[in-house]
Amino acid sequence: MFQNLRLTMAWLHTWFGLVLGFVLMVVFFFGALSVFDREIDRWAIPETRFEPQPMPSFDKVLRPVFESMQPDPGQIELARSRVDGPMATHFPVAKTWGAYTTHRDPVLGVFAGFELPNAKDPDDIIWGTRTIDPRTGKTLPDDQLKIGSQFFYPLHYSLNINWRDLGTWIVGFAALVMLVALVSGVIVHRKLFRELFTFRPGKNTQRSVLDLHNLTGVVALPFHFVFAFSGLLIFGGTYFPIGHTQLKPLHDLHEVLESQETGLPHERAGVPGRLASVDAMMAEAQRRWQARGMAGEVGFLTVRHVGDANAYVSIYRAGTDRIALTGEGIHFNAATGEVIREDPPPTVAQHINTFLTGLHLQHFRHWTLRWLYLMGGLLGCVCIATGFLFFVEKRKRQHAAQGLRGARWVDGFAVSAVTGMLVAALAMLVANRLLPADLPGRGDWEQYAFWAAWALALAHGLWRTAPVAQARIAPAWAEQCLAVAVLAVAAVLLNWVTTGDHLGRTLAAGYWPVAGVDLFLLGAAAMAFLAARALRRRSGVPSASAAANAPSRSEAARA
Amino acid sequence: MAAPPVSRLNIAVRIGAAVLGGYAFTWGFIALSVALLFAARMEFHDAETLATIVGLLLFVAAFLWAFAARSVAIVWTVLAGGGALMAGAATLVQRALT
Repeated sequence: MFQNLRLTMAWLHTWFGLVLGFVLMVVFFFGALSVFDREIDRWAIPETRFEPQPMPSFDKVLRPVFESMQPDPGQIELARSRVDGPMATHFPVAKTWGAYTTHRDPVLGVFAGFELPNAKDPDDIIWGTRTIDPRTGKTLPDDQLKIGSQFFYPLHYSLNINWRDLGTWIVGFAALVMLVALVSGVIVHRKLFRELFTFRPGKNTQRSVLDLHNLTGVVALPFHFVFAFSGLLIFGGTYFPIGHTQLKPLHDLHEVLESQETGLPHERAGVPGRLASVDAMMAEAQRRWQARGMAGEVGFLTVRHVGDANAYVSIYRAGTDRIALTGEGIHFNAATGEVIREDPPPTVAQHINTFLTGLHLQHFRHWTLRWLYLMGGLLGCVCIATGFLFFVEKRKRQHAAQGLRGARWVDGFAVSAVTGMLVAALAMLVANRLLPADLPGRGDWEQYAFWAAWALALAHGLWRTAPVAQARIAPAWAEQCLAVAVLAVAAVLLNWVTTGDHLGRTLAAGYWPVAGVDLFLLGAAAMAFLAARALRRRSGVPSASAAANAPSRSEAARA
Repeated sequence: MAAPPVSRLNIAVRIGAAVLGGYAFTWGFIALSVALLFAARMEFHDAETLATIVGLLLFVAAFLWAFAARSVAIVWTVLAGGGALMAGAATLVQRALT
């Protein structure tokens, strides 16, 4: 496009990086938090602060729960446009039941998918979900929002914009641009190895910001690349739904062949069937895994074609001891409890796929690695944030001289995307501890607090970045850093006051989910406070050129 | 940087080629690869996985190429035309199989 490749790549890196950087900031930050989503859940729902539990007895605990389930009211509302005629009030046919747990879950998420009567698409399914205490089978209230796994985590991959998967598409495009930015960034810089050791904080802001951008980009280059790529791959079927559209006939053919080969019925028989002891099937599955030299817990179980003669039960192993997201599934005839099939060892393609997706989704039990993931995600945030700052620093003097407002607007949006996002996340945690426990729709209010705080931070960011138009440092950064520090400390104190779980107690008990979140919040508060102080000090000594002029001015005053 | 000014239209056409052309090309590539690999008796989802992995890398390359190439007309021709051809071929393979 320009006269040489480097200029073209620099243009691509700058402009696509800038525009999609705001999305990538959200994706990286909430992706990093999602590494500890279950721990954030514990912090936010004090009733669930107990030890992780294995999959409970199906026959005694899960079966009565499943049998009492119906689709969620919200799902029924959403499904109204998918039926011809009136919406059913009762959903008698359960297509599937499922329960999923990990080594970090004290509570158990269960789901049931029902046939949707009068559905336009006969294969349509309407879902019901519940969270239960696996020790008792007691259902936990619906409106306790799992902030980590139900808000921060989906924010990471869908921005919580669910209309026609729009958010997932935006994030997908941002991930593609991330890969493009990494390749174009490497082409622009060339001296890749040197970037690893170059950080000159003492130089002018523009130089040190670029050093930090290159350093964080290069140090974690493989991490950034693999995560953006595997993220795209995980949603590959959403972005390229070829098997459901253009090649649907081929996919249907495959499903028929598959059910012939596996012996797992693809359709209901239409004849009622019974359900034998699933506990016995779980025990048998565990026995078979042990015989293969990989003893483990049950992580996921499903019943398909519930109540039908074709019903079968699939039991999958929790993958705590490997990266690849494989379940070593064993499938049982629901009525007799006989094994129909054991999943064969993965093929080469499955090896690659489960490794990449497992690497991204981390079901393994390895706390050091988990912390490294968090660091990798935060390094990505630093890389993106310094990209914004470099954009502003590079242009602000020129823009000030020419009376342009571009740098100022970018700085305003950068403040909102970086510190404003932290303010929003922290406001949500504070709201979580302040809102009355019996408030109807409490989880909704927590989300309103999040978005309202972010909107406020955006307004503040746009307002308090005005000095950038005169090539000075925006006070918005220091002020929002201070807000971050105050909110983070407030969250820790509120957790203490409302639950009694102060750090002395959680640390003494070794209860790391809550202690870890509290310590992380305090660390963030300390860093935000130091950043605010450093920024204040800098803006006190305006710019380098003004500082150079200062002595002569004071001499002039003396004279 | 004394780069000669690039017209806004040229930039818009290149962005279109990178995003839409790149998508069409990737779609065609994945569809044709899945159809051919399935015809060669690979399991459907295995074929889909492999094709998607390679397809996504191609998308990144096509995206960069859309800006690096001298002629944007060639970019559009290759990406959109190639994508349509591959998608058409995929449908033909599917017809032969089903």
